[in-house]
Amino acid sequence: MRGLKKIAMIEWAKVAPYGFVRTMIILLALLFFLVIFASSRIDISVPGFSWRNIYRFPYNWSSFAWVASWFNIFLSIIVITVTGNEFQHRTFRQQVMNGYDRSEWLAGKGILILFLALTGVIMVTLTVVIFGFAMTPDLTLKALFSGISVLPVYFLQATGYMVIGMLFVTLLRSNALSIILFFLYFIVIEPVIRVMAPAEIRPWFPVKIISHLTPTPEILQLASQAGEEASSALTFEGLGILPRQLPQNINLVMALVYILLFGTLTWLIIRKKDL
Amino acid sequence: MILEASNISRNFGAVRAADNISFTVEEGMAYGILGPNGSGKTTTLGIVLSVLKADSGSFRWFGNKPSPEVYRRIGSLLEVPNFFPYLSLARNLEVIARIKEVPLTDIDRVLEETGLLKRRSSRYFQLSLGMKQRLGIAAALLGDPEVLVLDEPANGLDPEGIAEVRSIVSLQRERGKSIIMASHILDEVEKVCTHVAVLKGGKLITAGKVDELLKGEVLVIASTGDPAALGRAIESSGIASSVVVKETLAEIILNEGYDSAAVNRVAYENGIMLSELKVKKSSLEEQFLELIREK
Repeated sequence: MRGLKKIAMIEWAKVAPYGFVRTMIILLALLFFLVIFASSRIDISVPGFSWRNIYRFPYNWSSFAWVASWFNIFLSIIVITVTGNEFQHRTFRQQVMNGYDRSEWLAGKGILILFLALTGVIMVTLTVVIFGFAMTPDLTLKALFSGISVLPVYFLQATGYMVIGMLFVTLLRSNALSIILFFLYFIVIEPVIRVMAPAEIRPWFPVKIISHLTPTPEILQLASQAGEEASSALTFEGLGILPRQLPQNINLVMALVYILLFGTLTWLIIRKKDL
Repeated sequence: MILEASNISRNFGAVRAADNISFTVEEGMAYGILGPNGSGKTTTLGIVLSVLKADSGSFRWFGNKPSPEVYRRIGSLLEVPNFFPYLSLARNLEVIARIKEVPLTDIDRVLEETGLLKRRSSRYFQLSLGMKQRLGIAAALLGDPEVLVLDEPANGLDPEGIAEVRSIVSLQRERGKSIIMASHILDEVEKVCTHVAVLKGGKLITAGKVDELLKGEVLVIASTGDPAALGRAIESSGIASSVVVKETLAEIILNEGYDSAAVNRVAYENGIMLSELKVKKSSLEEQFLELIREK
């Protein structure tokens, strides 16, 4: 296998001039920024609560990462389209005939996924910094950086979404069908299976695990002026609004396991199938 | 040795697309794989190019097991050209040049050779069918590979396009490249190839030198006032394998080693005046059809 730099250059030559990818990234960034900006204009003035806390350091790291997670679907669609094109236009086949190993091709797609996840991280970081500096009174270094650990978690989550998309398109080899299956799996298939499954295994399903990496911010807690000192009962889960979730460290390990599992399945399909 | 394929088989469901196919391509050969549609040509090439999996059998390129390094020494075009429609010609070739690890400066050389240099910035989807086919050949020529593997390179082209593709391939042949070319067009194989393997229904029917396998029979049509007498004279001379006597002429299929002059001589020796003597080589197509009917 040739070096990752060479593989990245090959992938870049394929993707960089592709207008669809650029458009989707710009659209994703614009929509994300717009949602954050529009919601920041809302002012809920209930005594003891301040909506603005969500936009202030350090809470904005987790709340913005959560908002960004809604848009991971864009990143998955990019991966499905770019990969599906290679099957539909049979360029994958041509590349193998030209001396590109199947593992190198998959590594190229892996690099693309990591690049897109990194793009998402940069987008979140820039937005957090812009809104954080604009809206945080009495900013301290501790407050600035204490929530930054959510970034690698968001990175992992975005990667997870895209790896699932990649698995679907490798299996179906059709952009449209893969995007439909992707939506169906997230919105219908897995939730229905989860409902039918015993309660104790419900939190262990892949979409559940991956989407919970950036959990819904505890708005009640954050919006409370007491902030971090708020009662632990003042949470959606504590109030019974959200179902029971796995602890975050277990969630992280399981997300990693699923990403590796789906990556391996993708590799097995690519290795075995005709092109 | 360029390619050695041994007992390659592949089924698609109940269809046996390749059935125990073995053949060897030596250096400098222009090896044609000839057969009607569905005979297993593309399947065979797909297997030796590692894009289709064989159910059984093996093959070696340059005496080695197939590997990406080996395929970088081969230029290939399987069925139709496969490119990113939204990329320019130069960008599409850049992807391949990077995979083959050849200098990017080679892109303009192959575009020039295939007459596409002026279109280097056009997007692939904007090209005509003939241009797409030529770009496929340009991609195959990147890095000046030792072997060209071309599957139906003139497929879907108009006569002008076919002539263009043929001249590009012939040029490579003159440069000493080994060529493996699948085609159902007999004329193409006869004009380009030195050796041929004939496939039918996934089976290899025969293989060998083109001029030996597809040697032509010579049909002589002799017009005379007494065709019956000419027929008798030809039959007794032993120069023909068959004589058909008609009202004003005789159709004579000559044995190997004889030509129309022999007919003229026999007629003269027997005092028969010929008013016309036409020579017609039986078509390659007729012979090919006969060959696949026989087996």
